[in-house]
Amino acid sequence: MTRKSFPFRASGGELKDLKQPGYYEGYSSMAQKKNWDEATQKTVTDRVEKVSGIRFFSEKEAALFVAVIDRVMPQDDRAEGRTIPILPALDERLDKNSLNGFRYEDMPPDQEAYRLAAKAIEEMAQERFGESFPLLTVHRQELILKSLHDGKPDPDNAVWQKMPVHRFWAMLMEDCVTAYYSHPWAWDEIGFGGPAYPRGYMRLENGLPEPWEKDEQRYEWNAPVDSVSQPDEEGAPPEHGSLHGHGGSH
Amino acid sequence: MSHRLGPMQTLPSPMRRFEESDIVDYCIVGVGSAGGVLVQRLARAGFRVVALEAGHFWDTEKDWVSDEKGSHELYWNDLRITGGTHPLALGANNSGKGVGGGSVHWAAFVPRFHPSDFRVYSEDGVGANWPISYWDLKPYYELLEREIPVAGPAWFPWGDPHGHPYGPHPLGGVGDVLVRGCSNLGIRSVAGGPVAILSASHGDRPHCIYRGFCLQGCKVGAKASTLITHVPDAISHGAEIRAYAMASRISLRDDGRVNGVVYFDREGKERFQRARAVIVSGYAIETPRLLLNSACPGHCNGLANSSGTLGKYLMAQAGNVVAGRFDELIRLYKAPPAHALSEEFYETDPGRDFARGFAVQTVGPLPVAFAKQMVAAMGAWGWGMRQVMMDYNHWATLGVLGEILPWEDNRVELAEEKDQHGLPVAKVMFNLHDNDKKLIEFGKNKVMEIMAAAGATQVVQESRFAHLVGASRMGSDPSTSVVDKFGRTHDIPNLFVCDGSILPTQGSANPGLTIQALAARTADYLIKQGETIFYSNRRDLNEPGIRYDLSPPYTRFKGNPRIA
Repeated sequence: MTRKSFPFRASGGELKDLKQPGYYEGYSSMAQKKNWDEATQKTVTDRVEKVSGIRFFSEKEAALFVAVIDRVMPQDDRAEGRTIPILPALDERLDKNSLNGFRYEDMPPDQEAYRLAAKAIEEMAQERFGESFPLLTVHRQELILKSLHDGKPDPDNAVWQKMPVHRFWAMLMEDCVTAYYSHPWAWDEIGFGGPAYPRGYMRLENGLPEPWEKDEQRYEWNAPVDSVSQPDEEGAPPEHGSLHGHGGSH
Repeated sequence: MSHRLGPMQTLPSPMRRFEESDIVDYCIVGVGSAGGVLVQRLARAGFRVVALEAGHFWDTEKDWVSDEKGSHELYWNDLRITGGTHPLALGANNSGKGVGGGSVHWAAFVPRFHPSDFRVYSEDGVGANWPISYWDLKPYYELLEREIPVAGPAWFPWGDPHGHPYGPHPLGGVGDVLVRGCSNLGIRSVAGGPVAILSASHGDRPHCIYRGFCLQGCKVGAKASTLITHVPDAISHGAEIRAYAMASRISLRDDGRVNGVVYFDREGKERFQRARAVIVSGYAIETPRLLLNSACPGHCNGLANSSGTLGKYLMAQAGNVVAGRFDELIRLYKAPPAHALSEEFYETDPGRDFARGFAVQTVGPLPVAFAKQMVAAMGAWGWGMRQVMMDYNHWATLGVLGEILPWEDNRVELAEEKDQHGLPVAKVMFNLHDNDKKLIEFGKNKVMEIMAAAGATQVVQESRFAHLVGASRMGSDPSTSVVDKFGRTHDIPNLFVCDGSILPTQGSANPGLTIQALAARTADYLIKQGETIFYSNRRDLNEPGIRYDLSPPYTRFKGNPRIA
């Protein structure tokens, strides 16, 4: 069972069953595939067409993380068949124990961290609302997750005494955004030009589109009314230094 | 099928293979920025050289992709433990694996260090002095700028002003933001380089196509990595590059000299490469780790560690990323991430309450990296993440590159945990000190001011760190440093370290060019010393004199342009 909650246009109307959210209607990075090199074609096509099964998580853990991921990287606006697989990518990483090159000294190994978090989140749901996390309303699920985001687990749980909640949150977000924004459907959503070898780009300035890109067609929209995941005025979480190892910047 | 290095170049074939029983002249551990240059120089000079590389030997057409997630294998992903008050993110952030090392995924900014960087202790009473001056290294900067060759402005006004052999790149949206913001505040900036990216084709390497995937390995072959600039020439001159060879221990003879390197091959089998001298070029974490893991009777704290400074004085640069949202579209994914900068705040300013300074540089995160920055900078998640990412094309990003001083408590040591070969992994401890914190605060605020002056309507920032140097530092005093000014360890006459780990301080310049320049200089020294390295314990500290006849093909230009 997947619970849903829909964002809506500022001008009225729920955003649901969308083949392609975002402001770049008609733009398709995959339509440009024939212009990419062979190795890139294969990597990106496999990502779209070959979704691996769940091996690392137990059935119960998988159900929990489906619900968690549906809230931290929600896709309720996307049409059936156009949602981006996130849990399979996370499960595959953990199953292969594929690391990102380091572990914080105060963190357990990644695999163990996810198992511990699954236990903690389920216990928090039971304790606060007397129900399993996946069965909670979207709003209640978000309340629990927001407490993790804020670094103040409510209710507190023994797991967070030994595993720093902000580090787990950063790892969870990193895994989720990596799966989502590495998918060509997300590139279409945000208007990213995608792979560009051997063709390259020619219009570098003033945000101009390539002939095969689209101009932005902007509209205002809001998160579902029951959502607490929009940034508040305070914005950034407490300063923790660099939490992740993104692909370098300098 | 031939082994491709970019669309035009192929790896020379066949490559010489040394036998297990062969005693080579030099065994180099690690083929990155330094190792690649060293192996090329030594092979050209006629030495028998084997270079061990833990990772892949990339075929750029088959192995590399125009894709963030698909480029995960470019990084050193094996387990390391990170801690301290400000733990460093490792892996993709600063550690390469495979032939070319970090030069495969660097953004390729190649500013020189300033003359003041070599005299930080004398000038500011903090950090350390180098055992050489800028003027010792300058001819090597010029030489490597031609070998790479570097594209950039004809007039680079900071430090020792200089020009660049290839013309600057056209400006992208983010570079335009940097120039605009700086100009509105009266701050000087340059654009189009200096970067190790071709603005015009060069030999068998095409020019840049501005696709923005520099950090994912340049399939075009426009961005320089030692994989394509120096390794082919090394192989043509009889060197062997042995990939999938993970060094585990340097072997010491009874007479106190090393005689080879123990390593694990692709199948996990332990092997031994005999050598008359060993050069460790594993970068700031794996170099001290290997030397620490090579502890043996008489060197129980690690090889070349009589000073107790091995692993210490590790440095990373402050790398805060400032993101600004603009009403207009930027499309920050186009053009090389590295293409405009200002070094106006590089030097110590008595008007500020901290020593040393920082640079301001463009950065160009692709969607996954940018989303992670939004997690850190804005706490974005859920619908907030979806919303901010739909504005990806409205954001520009600038980086602080700030000098963090060398501190004894910032260090690499061995952890309890073991890797797949049973070798203790590295534990990296990193703490910010008072001067560092003040510098970062000032630098971060200045770059946020520049972003706002460029017209951003929302400005946020993420604290992070970039690059790694130090941890086997060079110095004149054997009691406070690991190697001498040529990279020779103070303790063992035929054991050398040559990579970023020998830097005593780091300035606010990206370290790649300096590492390659130091490697060329060490190579000249070794070539000049000749056979004496292999049997004599005498330490000659005279400068070798630069060799201009050892460059790879097509790189012998007459000089570096300089206007005014």
